[in-house]
Amino acid sequence: MWTGDIMFANAYELIVFILNFIGIYEPINNIFKTLGIEYVLRIIIVFIEIAVLLVFALLTIMFLTWMERKVVAMVQARYGPMVTGPRGLLQPVMDGIKLIGKEDIIPAKADRWVFTLAPFLVFIPALLIFIPLPFGESLIISDLKVGLLYLIAISALSPIAILLAGWSSNNKYSLMGAMRAVAQDISYTIPLALSAIAIVLFTGSLSTVDIVTAQNGTWFGFIPKWFIFLQPLGFILFLIASIAEMGRIPFDFQESEQELVAGFFTEYSGIKFAMFFLAEYAHLFSVSAIVVTLFLGGWSFPILPYLPAVLVPLVSFVVFLVKTYAVIFFAMWLRHTVPRVRIDQLLNLGWKIMIPLALLNLLVTGFLLTVGVFK
Amino acid sequence: MKTDELLINMGPVHPSTHGVLRFKLTMDGEIIRNCEIVMGYLHRGTEKLGEMKTYMQFVPYTDRLDYISAFPNNYAYVKAVEELAGIEVPLRAEYIRVLTLELNRIVNHLVMIGSLLLDLGASTMIMYGFRERENALALFDMLCGARMTFNYIKPGGVREDMPEGFIPKLNEFINDMDMRIDDYEQLVSGNEIFMGRMKNIGVMSAQDAINYGMTGPSLRGHGVNYDIRKMEPYSVYPDLDFKACMRRECDSFARYMVRIDEMRESLHILKQVVDQMPQGKAETHAKYGIAPMTGAPTAVSTYFPRIFTPPPGEVYSRIEAPKGELGFYIVSDGTIKPYRIKIRSPSFCNLTAIPKMVEGLMIPDLIAAFGTIDVVLGDVDR
Amino acid sequence: MTWISKNWTMVGIIKGLILTMKHILRIGNRPTVTVQYPYQKMKVSPRYRGLHAVDENACIGCGICEVNCPNATIQIVKYKAKWYPQVNIGMCLFCGLCVDVCPMNAMKMTGNYELADYTRESLVYGPDRLLFNKEVKQ
Repeated sequence: MWTGDIMFANAYELIVFILNFIGIYEPINNIFKTLGIEYVLRIIIVFIEIAVLLVFALLTIMFLTWMERKVVAMVQARYGPMVTGPRGLLQPVMDGIKLIGKEDIIPAKADRWVFTLAPFLVFIPALLIFIPLPFGESLIISDLKVGLLYLIAISALSPIAILLAGWSSNNKYSLMGAMRAVAQDISYTIPLALSAIAIVLFTGSLSTVDIVTAQNGTWFGFIPKWFIFLQPLGFILFLIASIAEMGRIPFDFQESEQELVAGFFTEYSGIKFAMFFLAEYAHLFSVSAIVVTLFLGGWSFPILPYLPAVLVPLVSFVVFLVKTYAVIFFAMWLRHTVPRVRIDQLLNLGWKIMIPLALLNLLVTGFLLTVGVFK
Repeated sequence: MKTDELLINMGPVHPSTHGVLRFKLTMDGEIIRNCEIVMGYLHRGTEKLGEMKTYMQFVPYTDRLDYISAFPNNYAYVKAVEELAGIEVPLRAEYIRVLTLELNRIVNHLVMIGSLLLDLGASTMIMYGFRERENALALFDMLCGARMTFNYIKPGGVREDMPEGFIPKLNEFINDMDMRIDDYEQLVSGNEIFMGRMKNIGVMSAQDAINYGMTGPSLRGHGVNYDIRKMEPYSVYPDLDFKACMRRECDSFARYMVRIDEMRESLHILKQVVDQMPQGKAETHAKYGIAPMTGAPTAVSTYFPRIFTPPPGEVYSRIEAPKGELGFYIVSDGTIKPYRIKIRSPSFCNLTAIPKMVEGLMIPDLIAAFGTIDVVLGDVDR
Repeated sequence: MTWISKNWTMVGIIKGLILTMKHILRIGNRPTVTVQYPYQKMKVSPRYRGLHAVDENACIGCGICEVNCPNATIQIVKYKAKWYPQVNIGMCLFCGLCVDVCPMNAMKMTGNYELADYTRESLVYGPDRLLFNKEVKQ
């Protein structure tokens, strides 16, 4: 039975354990040692980890585009993609092929290097967020001691890339769109960070693995010790702030074609346009994963102590995926039910309502912890 | 610090269902100072064409004016011709006409609500609206053979009698719609984000609205109880029991709620029409009275010759179309073709109130207010 | 702003979410309504005004349909030693006036609406494509 302790600190040690188990780790290590370059083996194992992560991330993004279209169709009493592949599963592949085949247009007066650089600057931080996320028990690329701070800092990199994209297009609509997107981003990063910090008061550590292990176990035998029960207000604030960060409806005025054509990516076509879209879906997945880690217990689940220790990484991975997709489904469900919020109402909401509420949340949590209500 | 005013063009190509219409906005920062509307991109010369066709040949052209609700256009023209020439219509034909008019009112309001919400960002309402519209269009297909341009109401009556199995399907549709309107209220009317975008937006006083010539549901949202079905009743409306829906707050939300109320009233009228429909013999061979051998009138039409010369004179007749007051002014000089046909279209007159309504608002508010006026470009440009 | 503090429970949004969940789970007479054209086709009614068809034995070539067409798309041409109508589908309104005025009930409209073609000339449907022969039953 699983005792509740983490078996391996991160995925590197898991791979070394598996290779030892098969029996090929020692011979290969000896070969490299005799050559004097034993660090090469470590680099190869790290590359294998990152390759697996990248394949998983890109497959997930493609699957998410298909899932979005199917969820829309289910809400709207229709079918969604059905023709390409069985039930439309090859639709993202076809979309990718179509976008790759489009002509790559760069406006004549635009700044060429910055114009080409901006989509990648938006896409790469969305992939970097995957590093400290605990996908399962001992399935984490690198257990940073400041994992939570790293996550918030990387999400705060996106306004720079958006401004680069809007400025280099040499188009007044793109610039206005970029300014508005940056305003939205920075005004919702603050409630996001404040709600997340209230969690740290409980665990005393910023590391994501510690946050998840603090949610192991149950009260009264059947209510799991997830932070959503201890911090309901923080959960709601974090969820709304993350939907606003991602730029989804109801906070979607960037893509309302009536107002500004298409916001800051008006001038992009082909694969650069695809990069913005992929970055949005990667962001969707990673933000949902953060919500699950912080509030819904990560990969912990009450039945895990009853399983043999060998199965625990696999089952915890499945549990993590189920929870993340539930949060993603909620975001998609909300998107197709409500209309957009106007921009000044949005900024009102962010600055005048959510920041005071987040500070109040922090104050009450700190007070209750000092008094000794939660141990 | 002095700031300049910016000229923004919301061009004729719109990613929404309204059509080709152009706004030239003069903006001070985010606030609109002046709005100039440029229309005429869909002008097809319908009024001039009317001078070159006979009275019977012009009926298909009236279908294409307001293409979302084609039955009221047909009926307004036919009512004018019947007044001009003094033709009487059998009672069963009048009931069938009212049935189609009210059914078309429901369909029109569904499209309006759907496209209003599509502009605001929620795309589910238009899908639900068009799902109901499919059922209604299948009914129209069964009745007259076309889904959008009906050409069914002719001077003297209607083209053909209802087929068998029409009334049971209509009853099914009515029962279905009752449930669906409750669904729409649950989805849209109580939504706080929707209310925050529509309340106190696009406010105009009732006197201003009357001065600009607004009519129809947009005017009844301002507290003015003006419904032509009650003021100058036509057809069988005096025998039917319904009320004109009105709201007192003069903002966009009131104009939207008037349409939801009107959909329910139309269902109420439909149920009464189905109950009160008079029986009659229907011969399906004879279409508007030209039976091949006998030339006798039928249950749904009086005799109307193919070459028809009304007495010289002029007439202006109007009806309550789903968008407002639709009027036809016909001048005839005693020949087989009219001398002049002038169409008073509701969307054109309602549209001219937009510049007054949006002063001091932002662009998202312009879009919300414009959606509640319910403009179709075929009606504006003719 | 005050509307947020008055409705902070956001009841309306929650009710809307319940309704769309009912649509996702398809409860209460809310099925999927897509007709997957071209694998499935919608049924049109018997009165549908589609492509024309002329009864070969009943048509007398009188030309009343030609005179009454609002757009002047019908022309009477000679075919097999008799005179029959020829319809230009590209200009036709599909209004049905020619059906209504035909004194011999020879002009009919079928339910065929898939009429797209590659050139403008092929849209002129002559008598060879419009005529049909109703067999006389003994």
